[in-house]
Amino acid sequence: MAFFRITLLRSAIGLPRRTTDVLKALGLKKRMATVFHPVSQSVAGQVMKVKELVDVQEVDRRLTKQEVHLERKPDPGYYVEKRGNAEFVEQTRE
Amino acid sequence: MFKPTSALFSGLLWKTPWRISQPQKARQRKRLRSVDRVVDTLSAALQRNGQSTKAVERWYAEMPREEEMVPKDKYTIFDKKEKTYRKGIHKLPKWTRVSQRVNPPGF
Repeated sequence: MAFFRITLLRSAIGLPRRTTDVLKALGLKKRMATVFHPVSQSVAGQVMKVKELVDVQEVDRRLTKQEVHLERKPDPGYYVEKRGNAEFVEQTRE
Repeated sequence: MFKPTSALFSGLLWKTPWRISQPQKARQRKRLRSVDRVVDTLSAALQRNGQSTKAVERWYAEMPREEEMVPKDKYTIFDKKEKTYRKGIHKLPKWTRVSQRVNPPGF
């Protein structure tokens, strides 16, 4: 089943009230918020009402909130070789 | 220090430049293309489902794409009060968030 991945890029401040209502119906409350909706005519019609404000992609599955967050997370610049606890356990075994 | 300008002398006076700048034009084209892309995505996804929506069909029937538009329509808008019947599109309220692509034929 395909989904629309909808991200709110532009705010609806100062636009007609109906525009804000459509965004609310889609579950978009603030900028850069991402929601997933199944591909259907009603969702497409709603997106058409706010097409100037959102970015839309077609995806295969719903991503969780955490997965969406991890996409945006920058590379920390290091990787963990070994945790302190694991090292301690190794040393005590010897 | 104090420079007597019309903006400082009167209460509320906002001045919108007569011309739209080059970067503004570039961003306008970018926005037009992004709207085209959203509609294309919707249409393609619905077609794969064997569906279609009136709003999308109407958009394709009535609205030109960014590359089909003439510069005159991209950056100016019809205005009956102007001598040339045209004013900059940046005079349109909320112009960065509305779709204004077609003008009266002949103007």
